[in-house]
Amino acid sequence: MKKLIYLVLIVFSFQATLFASPDQEASLENQHKLKLINYVKKADRLNQKVVDHGKFAVLQQEFKRPQDVTLACLSCHTERHTEIMANNHWTWQRTEKLNGRGEVSVGKKNILNNFCIGTSSNRESCTRCHIGYGWKDESFDFTEKENIDCLVCHDLSGVYKKESGMAGYPVEGINLNVVAQSVGSPKRANCGVCHFWGGGGNNVKHGDLEEAMNNGTKKLDVHMGTDGEDMSCIECHITENHNITGKLYALSSENKNRISCEQCHTTEPHSDALLNKHGLRIACQTCHIPYYAKANSTKMWWDWTSAGRLDEHGEPLHEADADGNHNYLSIKGTFVWDQNIKPSYFWFNGLADHFLITDSITEIPIQMNTLNGAYSDKGANCKTTGCSKIWPVKVHRGKQPYDAINNRLVQVKTFSKVKGEGAYWMDFDWNAAIKAGMEYVGLPYSGEYGFVETEMYWPLNHQVSPASQSLRCIDCHTRSEEGRLASLTDFYLPGRDYNAWIDNIGIILIILSFIGVVVHGALRIILRKNCLHD
Amino acid sequence: MKIYIYQIFERFWHWMQVLLISALAITGLEIHGFFELFGYRNAVSIHDISAWAFLILIIFAIFWHFTTGEWRQYKPSLKLVKEQINYYITGIFSGAEHPTNKLVYNKFNPLQRLIYLGLKILVIPVMGLSGLAYMYLNYPNQGFQLGSLDSAALIHTAGAYFLIVFVIAHVYLTTTGHKPLSAIKAMITGWEEVDEKGARAMVANEMEVALKITKARLKADGNKSELLDTALAETEARLGVKKEEKFRDVVANSGAGYFRIDPNGIYEEVNNAWACLYKFKSPEDVVGKHYSLSRNKEEFEELEITFNKVLKGETIPHGEVTRICQDGSIGHHTVTMTPVVKNNQIVGVEGFILDTTARLLAEKELLENKIRLEQLLNDRDRK
Repeated sequence: MKKLIYLVLIVFSFQATLFASPDQEASLENQHKLKLINYVKKADRLNQKVVDHGKFAVLQQEFKRPQDVTLACLSCHTERHTEIMANNHWTWQRTEKLNGRGEVSVGKKNILNNFCIGTSSNRESCTRCHIGYGWKDESFDFTEKENIDCLVCHDLSGVYKKESGMAGYPVEGINLNVVAQSVGSPKRANCGVCHFWGGGGNNVKHGDLEEAMNNGTKKLDVHMGTDGEDMSCIECHITENHNITGKLYALSSENKNRISCEQCHTTEPHSDALLNKHGLRIACQTCHIPYYAKANSTKMWWDWTSAGRLDEHGEPLHEADADGNHNYLSIKGTFVWDQNIKPSYFWFNGLADHFLITDSITEIPIQMNTLNGAYSDKGANCKTTGCSKIWPVKVHRGKQPYDAINNRLVQVKTFSKVKGEGAYWMDFDWNAAIKAGMEYVGLPYSGEYGFVETEMYWPLNHQVSPASQSLRCIDCHTRSEEGRLASLTDFYLPGRDYNAWIDNIGIILIILSFIGVVVHGALRIILRKNCLHD
Repeated sequence: MKIYIYQIFERFWHWMQVLLISALAITGLEIHGFFELFGYRNAVSIHDISAWAFLILIIFAIFWHFTTGEWRQYKPSLKLVKEQINYYITGIFSGAEHPTNKLVYNKFNPLQRLIYLGLKILVIPVMGLSGLAYMYLNYPNQGFQLGSLDSAALIHTAGAYFLIVFVIAHVYLTTTGHKPLSAIKAMITGWEEVDEKGARAMVANEMEVALKITKARLKADGNKSELLDTALAETEARLGVKKEEKFRDVVANSGAGYFRIDPNGIYEEVNNAWACLYKFKSPEDVVGKHYSLSRNKEEFEELEITFNKVLKGETIPHGEVTRICQDGSIGHHTVTMTPVVKNNQIVGVEGFILDTTARLLAEKELLENKIRLEQLLNDRDRK
C-alpha cells in the first residue's frame, strides 16, 4: 500500500511539473523585460535643443525661390549636397544585380509597377515626391545642388507642402522663413508625406504605411504608437550622412543596406527557445504583423481595363465605396480596397527580381518584383542573406496595358496639363497614351495593346502589433484552410501536413482494433455461459 | 491463489510508461492537428518533456533488465506461438486452458515475448530516433540537417498509430487472465491471482530453479545447509510465500513432501508426496506414528536434537539427510523444519522435504567416474 501511495505521489508530482511549466512561462512573459540593444528608450534620453535655426540671420532673409532656402542651408552645411546627390531619393535609380541579367539600373525613374505604371513621361506629376525642384523632363540637372529640396524632409513646422503636378515645387505662398527656421531631424510626417501617400492616396501602395501612423496607438504600430515609444522612422532607418538604411523590394533587388528587427531585438528575443528557433526560418514580421491596413484601407486590385468610362457630359467619373475609397475612377479604372488584411506568405531570402520594360512576358500573372526564396533554400545565400524565411507580404494585383504584338509591358503617358499630348488622363485614348509613353522611353510600340494581369509584392515591415496580438501557434499549425500558411506547401509543417495514406491506414487500424476488442469481448461474455471452466 | 509476479520497479516502470505514452499520444495527436486540447505550445512542451522522461525511464529500465537478468524474459521463441494465437482465436471462447502458464521466470507468453521484444528493439528506438530527428535536425545552420521534416514526421506518425493499436490490444488482453481484472491488479500490487494448476506449475518451476542454483553453489562451497537454506529462502522471497500464511498451501501443492509432527513426535499430517518419498502407500499409514520410524540410530539422534530445538521456536534448515523408507531402502532429501504456532504456543513442528536421491546418485556416479578416470591416468603415467 505504501508503495502505491509513493507511485501515486510520483505520478502526480510529475503531472504537476508538466502542467505548471506553461503557466510559469506565461507569468514569465508578463515580467519578461523586452530585450533591446542599440537603442536608448525615449525616457532615458537627454532631450536638449542644441541649435535654434530661428537665430540664424541667413534664414531670416527674404526667400524668393525655394532654391534660395537650399543655398542658405548649404551655406552652413556646406558639403551635405554631395551626400544627397548619392541618395536614391535624389537619383531615383541605383545599380542592382538582377538574377541572370547582370547589373541593371533600376529605380522609380524607370521601373514599372502595377499602380500608376511608371514615372517616365509623367515626371511633372510624379516628382511631387522627388526631393528636388523642377524635375519635369529629362533636362533636369541632377548636379545642380540648389535643386535639392531640404525642406520636404526637414520641415518640422508642418507648413511646407509640395504642389500637385508642379515637378516638386512647393505650394505658392508658403512662408519659407517659418519653414526654414523650424528645421530638424525628420519626423514621421516628413517621410510619410510621400511614403504614406505613394500611388496617389493614403495607404494605396504599402498597406503597412499610412497617415494614421502619424498619430496612432501602439495597437496600430507598437513602435510608432504615441502611447508608447512614439518612434520616428529614422530611429530604425538609421541614417548617417544622408544614407538612409532600409529599403523596399518594389524597387531594389540586392540584399544590402537593409535594416532588421534583430538590430535592436537580437536574434534571441523570446524567453522561449523554441520561438527563437522559429526565427531561423520565419521572419519576425510573420508573427508580429498579423494584420495590415489596420486603420485605413489599402488598394488590393487595380484594373485599368475599365478606365475611360465618362459621364454624359464627357467628364471623368469618381465612384466611391461605403468607406469612401474610390472604387472607380475614369482615369484609372476599377479598384478593390481592403482593411485589416491577413498577409500572404512567401519564402524570401533577401533577393528580388524585377520585370523590366524590356522583358518579354513568359508567364501570367506577371510578377513585377519576384521575391526569391524557397523552403529548400537553407543557406545558398548564407553569406549574404542567411536562408530563406517566411515573410508576410501584401500582394497587389491588377490588370495593366501591354503590347500585344511585342509581348511586353508598356510605359503609359498618363499625366499632362493639356489635352492632345496623348496623356490618358486627358484624352482617354490608350493607343495614344502608350505611344507617347513608349516614345518617351525610346522603345518600340506595335500599336496593339491588351491588358494583362500582374502581381506586385510588398514585404510587410510596419504596423507591428503588440506581442499579445501576434500570431499563435495554431494560426499556422493547423489543418484548417484558413491557416496562415495553408498555401505555402513546399515543406512539411507539423499540425498542417500529413500523409493521407499513413493517417488513413492508422485510423482504420485503430477502428479495426476497437471493433476487434468489442467483438472478441462480446463473444467471450456470451459464450461464457456455455463454459464449464470456473 | 496469488503469486508475487511483478517487482516494484517493474510496476513503476510499467505505470510510468502508461502515463508517458498516454501523454505522448494525446499531445502527439494534437500536434498532428486532430484536435485542440492543451493548446499547441503546451502540447509541444508536454510532448517534449514526456519524450525526455521516457528516454530516462528507458535508461533505467535497460539497467534494471540487465542487472536482474530479466532481459531473458524477452528471448524470443516460436514455441507455442501458434497455440497462443489459437487460444485467443478459439480456445478462449470455449473455456480452454491457457496454453502457457505465467511464471516468475517466464512471465510472458510467447506472443507477448515477440511483441514486447519488437517494441523494445524496433518501435521504441524508431520512435525515439525519429523524434530526436524531428526536434533537432529540422532547422538550418546546425550542421547536419534533414531536407525536410517529412521523413522523420511520417515515420514518427506511423509508429504512433502502431503504438496506439498496441495499447488498445494490450489493455484488452489484460482481461484474459484468471479473472478479468487479475492482470491489472497484479500490475498494481505485484500479486497476480492464478488458478491452482498455474500456481503448482509455478512453484515447481521455482523449486527447480532454486535447486539448480543451490547445486551450482554446492559445488563451489562446502557449507551445504546454509546455502540450501539461502536458496529456499530466496525461492520463498521470490514467490512472496510467507511462511505464516502460505507455506503449507504452497508446499502442499508443490511436489515437495510436507509433514507436521506434534510435540510428542507423532506424525499429525503428511502429504502424498511425503508418503510417496518414504514409499508408504498413503498418508494414513504414517499418521499416528513416531518420527523415529524413518531414521537409523545416528540419524535419529541428530533429528531428535533438531526437533527439540524447533519446539523451542527455532527454524532449522536440516540440510541433507538420509531417510530409511518403509521397504528399508535408503533415500536422500533436504529438510527444513519450522515450529507450528497456535495462540502463541508451539504446538508442533512442520516442514518440507525435497528429494535429492537422484541427484546424489548422479553426483556419486560422477565422482566415482572421476576417481576411476584419475586412477587410469595415474596408471598410464606410471607405465
